[in-house]
Amino acid sequence: MEKLFIIVVDDQREVLTTVSSELEALGSLVFVEECESPAEAWELIEEIDANGDYPAVVISDHVMPVKTGVEFLSELSEDSRFADVKKVLLTGLATHSDTINAINQASIHRYVEKPWDKEEFLQIVRTLITEYLLEKGLDYQGYSEITDHATILRFMKDNG
Amino acid sequence: MNQRLKLLISFGIPLLILFMPASFIPLDNLTLVEQRMIAILFMAALCWILEPIPVFSTSILIIVLELVMISDKSLVIFREDGNTLGELIPYGEIMGTFASPIIMLFLGGFFLAMAATKYRLDVNLARVMLKPFGNKPKFVMLGLMVITALFSMFMSNTATTAMMLSILMPVLALFPTDGKGKIGFALSIPIAANVGGIGTPIGTPPNAIALKYLTGEDYISFGEWMVFGLPYVLVILFISWVVLQWLFPAKVKEVDMDIKGKFLKTWKAYVVYISFILTILLWLTDFLHGMNSYIVALIPVAVFTSFGIITKSDLKNISWDVLWLVSGGIALGLGLEKSGLAAHLIDAIPFGTLPAYIIIISITLLAVVMANFISNTATANLLLPIVAALAMSIPALAEFGGVRHLIVMTALSCSMGMLLPVSTPPNALAFGTGYFKTPDMVRVGLIIMAVGYLFIHLFAYLFNTAI
Repeated sequence: MEKLFIIVVDDQREVLTTVSSELEALGSLVFVEECESPAEAWELIEEIDANGDYPAVVISDHVMPVKTGVEFLSELSEDSRFADVKKVLLTGLATHSDTINAINQASIHRYVEKPWDKEEFLQIVRTLITEYLLEKGLDYQGYSEITDHATILRFMKDNG
Repeated sequence: MNQRLKLLISFGIPLLILFMPASFIPLDNLTLVEQRMIAILFMAALCWILEPIPVFSTSILIIVLELVMISDKSLVIFREDGNTLGELIPYGEIMGTFASPIIMLFLGGFFLAMAATKYRLDVNLARVMLKPFGNKPKFVMLGLMVITALFSMFMSNTATTAMMLSILMPVLALFPTDGKGKIGFALSIPIAANVGGIGTPIGTPPNAIALKYLTGEDYISFGEWMVFGLPYVLVILFISWVVLQWLFPAKVKEVDMDIKGKFLKTWKAYVVYISFILTILLWLTDFLHGMNSYIVALIPVAVFTSFGIITKSDLKNISWDVLWLVSGGIALGLGLEKSGLAAHLIDAIPFGTLPAYIIIISITLLAVVMANFISNTATANLLLPIVAALAMSIPALAEFGGVRHLIVMTALSCSMGMLLPVSTPPNALAFGTGYFKTPDMVRVGLIIMAVGYLFIHLFAYLFNTAI
């Protein structure tokens, strides 16, 4: 079976560790990768894509040196190979105009404010993974432990 | 079983059959075409049972292999050797299975369902129809079941289940600590969808496949199918409701189903409403206008595309996998018949000496068992062509209603495969809600399956004595 990846991008080590330990609740069906910069994330995403695997969800911080999260996610959504990757902005320090850009340019799917609620955050990731699987036409049944059922029902209603 | 082993078995055994000397096969005067058809039949059966590749791709493989190996334009090495080659099948007939009248009937059904969903006729009808059932939990469940069954007669069982569950899920979330009640409600939807599919020829693919083999004097029109289909569905639905009430009584006093929405009042919506009603009326009145159900099915296709109700992008949502799964079954039947293998097999095996009721019971039981573990459509694809050939060769069947009854009973039995979450897509969708465990589904499923199975025989008996 193809591999699904969740990529977490944050310049603070502690945040990366917290996020990936929370995502452990999703079990071994998805691979969680930690990146300390957008550049590192790009390299990883290219590699995942080259292997024929799927970068399903990218969760990025906003305020980072060199390149901001919104800039990074905008690049990602402009690249036709990764336009359908689910994008989450995880930040506590975005200004009003950053937020506008995140929606208009980066087309982010979710905005999560730091500090976040663990259960809500997990639910967001589950929903996004489910949407990604369904939109990509992948075998969602193989991921039944981590998918969101209401999302499946909504999809099957129109495509059953 | 792992994927490699499945692939090895599913393709290894057919290859072995293909290349073994014809004398190893216990059929006299076997032609090469027949031997190749046996290999294709084994491949189809193994692939549909073990699923090393998706079920619809097995169907496509059947069609392509028939074209390459046993058609009149097959690969040149497959056309050599005059004596034992046998009868090659015209390639156009094999390709034609993609556009068989049965496929057109289903296509028409898909267009009706797509238009109904797009113009929210389904949800709005559900809202209006649920009202008279009040808010007592047991009657709400009855209402949900009746609506689900009715919709699944015209829409896919899967889409109907998804729609009804998405209406029901938010309501169930509000049930306080009523574990049992939730189980009952979550199970009621897939049961009603599975059973409801029996009601019309387009309700579920096995019914349409059955029509393929009901030709000549055994022909059954849309309306004639409903004459027994509808009462059967209603009876089984009512029994299922009683069983669910008995096993999983709800403790809550009231259930308020809140379905939002209003009937659309645009001219396009009216075209959808009117076409829907007219198509069903035309299906039921073929004796007046002479157009059979296959031709009627294409009318909404023309109307909806002309009026821009179904657009180019909507066409992409058609479940081609279902259509092609059925095509492969038709091609399998065509290959069995035209290669002469079906007749050859029936001659070689002395079915004629067995009492007819033993044949009926074993075939229908086999269908129920198979359908529980593999796709209902694949079961029908495999069994119906064989049953159709078999039935012709047994004159004793006449007193049990003949070919027609056996085929219909087999098709209905295919819809009784609903024991496990993996048995049907509606079961899998309901299981995904997490409100019940597998044993809950098995417990109800066993009862309904047994009752449903008995009623298939009872209905067959009643209709046989009535005619």
